[in-house]
Amino acid sequence: MPETLRQSLDLSLFWEFRYTIAIGLLQNLYVFVSAGLLALTLALFIGLSRVSRHRILRILSTGYAELFRNTPEFVLLIWVYYVLPILVSKLLATRFSLSPFLAAVLALGVAYSGFLSETVRAGIQSIPRGHVEAGLSLGMSRFTILRRIVIPQAVRRMLPEALSQFVSLFKATSIVSLVAVPDIMYQISMINVDQMRPLPLYTGAALLFCLVIVAASQSINILSDRWRRRGWA
Amino acid sequence: MTAQTLPPVSASGPILRCSNLRKSFGTNEVLRGISFDVPTGAVLTIIGASGSGKSTLLRCLNHLEQPTSGEIYLEGEPVGMRVRANGTRVADKAANIARMRAKIGMVFQQFNLWPHMTALQNVTEALIQVKGLARAKAQEIGRDTLAKVNLLNKADEYPARLSGGQQQRVAIARALAMAPKVMLFDEATSSLDPELTGEVLEVMRQLAKEGMTMVVVTHEMGFAREVSDRVIFLHEGQIDQDGTPEDVFARPTSERCRKFLASVLG
Repeated sequence: MPETLRQSLDLSLFWEFRYTIAIGLLQNLYVFVSAGLLALTLALFIGLSRVSRHRILRILSTGYAELFRNTPEFVLLIWVYYVLPILVSKLLATRFSLSPFLAAVLALGVAYSGFLSETVRAGIQSIPRGHVEAGLSLGMSRFTILRRIVIPQAVRRMLPEALSQFVSLFKATSIVSLVAVPDIMYQISMINVDQMRPLPLYTGAALLFCLVIVAASQSINILSDRWRRRGWA
Repeated sequence: MTAQTLPPVSASGPILRCSNLRKSFGTNEVLRGISFDVPTGAVLTIIGASGSGKSTLLRCLNHLEQPTSGEIYLEGEPVGMRVRANGTRVADKAANIARMRAKIGMVFQQFNLWPHMTALQNVTEALIQVKGLARAKAQEIGRDTLAKVNLLNKADEYPARLSGGQQQRVAIARALAMAPKVMLFDEATSSLDPELTGEVLEVMRQLAKEGMTMVVVTHEMGFAREVSDRVIFLHEGQIDQDGTPEDVFARPTSERCRKFLASVLG
């Protein structure tokens, strides 16, 4: 028992393979940034559609958000990687396939656009109607009001919630090894096949994820704090 | 109810015309045929109990509420709708509605300043985004307008750091900077502490003196009596009493108007 405990706390093996693992971490970051940008772009359109004056847009966007918010990322990833290419190939009658990286970005991007669109919707709805009416009364177009009045305020209000969505997204990048994206978990299972010492390897991976997320979210909090507070005392 | 007919609008005619205006929310008819003309430079005050339709009427004048029927004209040009060659009326394009709104300033009960912009930015925003002015030119106008409401020293403060009275004066400056033809005041002092209403009323009094055409919804009867050229008492969506401040305050012929005045004047 003490022997296994020492093994799990001794992370020297993890350190030994630090370059391979760093390359894996880089893959996680690539997937995170790409999926994050995709999710943010989609979420903005979906979130805006959910508060649109047009009923059709509201219905379609609500359906989209509900579908992807309530489907597990893991199932989405498998579906996008294995099923989507079959579907597209059949429809277009050509060979079609997705690289593991693209499939991972697409699946996670779409999944998190569902969550983030809720944040966007709530952020936009939190802006008092009077702010919009003031803009209208001065002759501003709805687009100008959105761009200059609503979104700048909504973004500040959305930030803490969006940050926690992005933390979840980064954690979710650990499942991309399932479609053979060479991320941390993929590299570690490769090393484990060779070394047969899962305890230090997977403990190290858990600690590394935690460390990266805590460091990133703390620095974002510090950086954004002053900006968010400006004018809101 | 018979439709009231008003003489045609000529170049020297009223700057603002409201003709047989009706507005329903669902089955609830809030405005039931309102007509009046506002001559250039005049101050029209609308009084009445809460729920009488005062605010809805004001919000119809710049099309924040779409009238159910009836017409609004600013300088003879219809607001919010177009008349086709065959006489039918259609809703106007959004860009045209915006163009007309830019000529009608509005001040809200809740100020509605944009909290992420400084006082000066609040004032210059529409000058830049709507009128297309260069930033420097907009800031020059913005500072002049803030000076007019005695707030030049607060130009770089955010609204949260201003008192209610100061915020409302910034809101007035924001509307004034656009050089509107008409200013609408929707209970501009109703959400202010009593000691702060004076500074806002003073700005409004000054504007009236300078010849700004104003439509004012207010509970400040002293102000209404002193500044107005004409007072309308609204009751259940209809004009119940209409005349000079003397007519309405000193010699009201309507029993309802008498009762209302007795209740608010105490």
